Amino acid sequence: MASSLVKPTIRAILIVILLLMIGAPFVWMVLSSLQPNSALIQPGNFFSPALVTFGNYVKLPSATQYVLLARNSLLVALISTAIAIPLALLAAYSVFRTRYRGRTFIYNLLLVVYIFPGVLLLAPLFGLFAVTGLLNSWASLVIMNVTFAVPFSVWLMRGFFTSIPNGIEEAAAIDGATDMQILWKVIVPLTAPGIVVTATYTFVLSWTEFMFASVFIIDDRLKTLPVGLEALVSQYSIDWGLLSAAAVMAALPVVIIFTFAGRYFVESITSGAGK
Amino acid sequence: MTTIPATATERDAVQSHPPARLPEPPVRATLGRLFIAPLMIWLALTIVLPLAYCIWISLTSANTMGGTPKFVGLSNYATIFGDGTFGPAFLRTLAWAIGGAVLQTVFAAGAALLLHQRFAGQHVARTWIMASWVVPTIVTTFLWRWMLNADYGVVNQLLLGAGLLDRPIDFLGSPTYAFATVVWINAWRWFPFLTLLILAALTRIAPEYYEAAKVEGATSWQLFTKVTLPFIQPVLYVVGLLGTLWSVNVFDIIWLTTKGGPIDTTTTLPISIYIRAFQQFKLGEASAMSVSLALFLLLFAVVYIRFAPKGATEQEVD
Amino acid sequence: MKTAEDRNLHQRLAARLTAGVMTGAIVLSVGVASAEPIQITLWHQEQVQARVDQFQKVIDAFNASQAEYQVVQQVQSWGNIYQKLPPAIQAGVQPDIDFTIPDFTVTIRETGAVQPVDDIVAEIEKKHKFIDQALTPYRDEGKIWAVPVYGMVQVLWYRKDLFKAAGLDPESPPKTWEEFLNAARTLTKNGKFGVGVPVSKSLATDQVLYSLMSVNGGTELFDASGAVTFDTPKNVETVNFYKQLSELSPSGAASWTWPEPQDALNAGTVAMAIEKGQYLTPFEETSGQAADQLGCAPIPVNAGGEEHSIYYSNAAMVLTSDPDKRKGAAAFLSFILEPANYAEFLLAEPGLFLPLTVDGASEAWTGSPILSKYKGCVDLMIGMSKKGVLPGFNTGTVQKAIGPIMAQNLLSQVVQKVVVGGEDPQAAVTWGQEQMSAAAGQ
Repeated sequence: MASSLVKPTIRAILIVILLLMIGAPFVWMVLSSLQPNSALIQPGNFFSPALVTFGNYVKLPSATQYVLLARNSLLVALISTAIAIPLALLAAYSVFRTRYRGRTFIYNLLLVVYIFPGVLLLAPLFGLFAVTGLLNSWASLVIMNVTFAVPFSVWLMRGFFTSIPNGIEEAAAIDGATDMQILWKVIVPLTAPGIVVTATYTFVLSWTEFMFASVFIIDDRLKTLPVGLEALVSQYSIDWGLLSAAAVMAALPVVIIFTFAGRYFVESITSGAGK
Repeated sequence: MTTIPATATERDAVQSHPPARLPEPPVRATLGRLFIAPLMIWLALTIVLPLAYCIWISLTSANTMGGTPKFVGLSNYATIFGDGTFGPAFLRTLAWAIGGAVLQTVFAAGAALLLHQRFAGQHVARTWIMASWVVPTIVTTFLWRWMLNADYGVVNQLLLGAGLLDRPIDFLGSPTYAFATVVWINAWRWFPFLTLLILAALTRIAPEYYEAAKVEGATSWQLFTKVTLPFIQPVLYVVGLLGTLWSVNVFDIIWLTTKGGPIDTTTTLPISIYIRAFQQFKLGEASAMSVSLALFLLLFAVVYIRFAPKGATEQEVD
Repeated sequence: MKTAEDRNLHQRLAARLTAGVMTGAIVLSVGVASAEPIQITLWHQEQVQARVDQFQKVIDAFNASQAEYQVVQQVQSWGNIYQKLPPAIQAGVQPDIDFTIPDFTVTIRETGAVQPVDDIVAEIEKKHKFIDQALTPYRDEGKIWAVPVYGMVQVLWYRKDLFKAAGLDPESPPKTWEEFLNAARTLTKNGKFGVGVPVSKSLATDQVLYSLMSVNGGTELFDASGAVTFDTPKNVETVNFYKQLSELSPSGAASWTWPEPQDALNAGTVAMAIEKGQYLTPFEETSGQAADQLGCAPIPVNAGGEEHSIYYSNAAMVLTSDPDKRKGAAAFLSFILEPANYAEFLLAEPGLFLPLTVDGASEAWTGSPILSKYKGCVDLMIGMSKKGVLPGFNTGTVQKAIGPIMAQNLLSQVVQKVVVGGEDPQAAVTWGQEQMSAAAGQ
């Protein structure tokens, strides 16, 4: 009798725990950003509504070039995404919708792109970029983001490609469409959710990337947001309040994007990825 | 579960192919080669070329600060395996990968099963669970360093306040807790994404499967092992492979929280490699460590792909 | 080393040839020589925006003061400069000047790109004499390898109000280790701690340990022949003393670096800390106390030891071999050290950046809004600078091993083993000796 009530209750509790697990740190981050640092480092002090201040947000523009950094990050992420999509689309088409010797090998090869510790690629890549004149440019970051985003994206696209009925290309070809037209007019619309997934994955990967951005960019005007944030944690002082505000502002753009596009991403990915 | 109704098309939808067994599409070989070429060229330049350079460097006496590298054969490999730093770091890496895999899979599978149910706000919950994945790593590490701070972090304050502790725990500074703490932080960042991938697999289980199984009198556990698991197995399969590679090579989360300390308790191989390259400046030896790690992971990947629970999925649903 | 140099030379030669041809073409086509100023690129690792802004003021002043050179600053990070500068040098895209500390200089010298600066230093010294502690760490192989620009020194900071509350005389801070420990014990009660010492694997811990080593006869890490001499009874005693201090420190000390002891001191949770001059600026605002409640004193000395402190001479490495750029770098560096500009430059971080020329402590600097409140402490730091020491850099000959020893934070690893790992101090020091010898290739 009670079990019909117990189950949903337990489930509700678990869902709340799950959301708290993810959400609570962010809530705490927002709360901390509204307190002066001097209050935050008082032991025993949690959060005093009386001390709520926007001072940390006011200080932020003079402590970091937020707008510039956010704009740079956004541009790098968007350019990376724009390049990753066609690469992943072509590769996924090749791997999932055509047959040739070595195809399976290539598919497996894509998955093992991730075997090498990235730290050690820094030195040779730095040299490579310097020789090609790409050092200290967004191109170097875009290239690395695409490198690490596309192979996995190809796998994410799998379900969307394999669920297209065989023969659809042939049918289109009979109607006189060229390969490119088929790809553009037939395949792209059918795999649109997969493209959304790839785009989001690449965007997030690029938006959060720190290591390459911190080494390959020399000029302050070209730096990205994670690198700018790192500069806030100076050697000699940590202003937890200011950092919290900065963290909120760093999370904000993706949170806004996710508020509007997140559902579409989730729906897209659940509609086909990993099938 | 031999009784699950499986029409040809349903079986088609269900059948999942581990990487080694791709479905057989029409030929179009030229087009296929043409389309894969850009990515292959791209990766040749960004991965293969630096990789080849690393392999070469690992055979030389290269110093991070320059100088003329001399060819020294395999002596770097002899050094790294002989001086007793590779072994412990390797074991830690193993513990890191396994601990992370278990924690993340349990969380992700649990979360996915929860979010798979219908409830008010389901879509919002599904979107918001991604929050920890979409913020920069640097924010993640800051957040946890701040919350776990021994002196004024909220976690310690809560535990102290609740009387569960009488002395704050220095989560990231204590050799007892640091490793587990960093595993947790990494899991917190990554499990939502995994959740989504599993969720994706779950959504494709037709309700009829469950109903048929229920008619047969299957318990919840049987439903899980006989219906749910076979469906999410292919996802777990690929994520098991990629996740292991990713997680073994995690550098930023560890470096930005503990720098491999306290007393080396969080020094996994990438940290060890970093220290050797950029603090001891022995680029040759660091490269030898990288190459060894990569070879090991390659071996792991090959074995994994070859000896995957072959057809586990298909057998279960056929 | 040769190859890198050769390669750089070739690249530069090629670059200059190209530039030459192009200039020639421009001259031919336009008919006038270009009067573009020569660009001097400056890297530094002081990321804090306030410091960057203050540096920019000085740079702007320099750029406005003459038409020949144009200095551009590019801010890097201590967090990854070891990954960035060497490949930049190999690729020939290094800056013309990089701000440095002694051990980093030793490491970067191995690239072959660091230029001796004896002539530049000599030129500057005609007007402004450097203190010995500024130049000695950059002397090696009979040459000077960087131009000192500012100093940093550690002292003992303490809260006078907490001393008073604990019944200690706020005007007579501890002078010996015994007094230090006793005061710390007296101050540790009611959730307050006597002292805050970092125990993390970090340069912060290295520095405090070394300061304590220096006042207990342990200034040198190497003997005259270059052999590591870390494993001494004195150093074991120091490590043991550190352990005792750490027991009077808050729980989180094992992950503390620089900010935490300072925050704790300002919050009133710890009463004493050994650190550099960054304690001045935020004291009033963060602690809510008047400036005169921040006490400062020389680091307490152990019986038989001498008054010392770790001292960092921060300097500018010249990484260009282009004679014109070198002249520009020299002009810029001597511009910084002109007292009028120097005050402005040092105020990038008031109290932390100390003058290291004899005439550097100008009225414009000491009289600035923050420093004028802490006159006594500023004088103390200037005085302590002259007793400053740095591991591996006190003799005018540098052991290369100091680069990896400091980069790996071996000193703090010894402390961690003892405090966090519960190891015996002697065993930990012996381990430290072995690691350092390995770094030295002994």
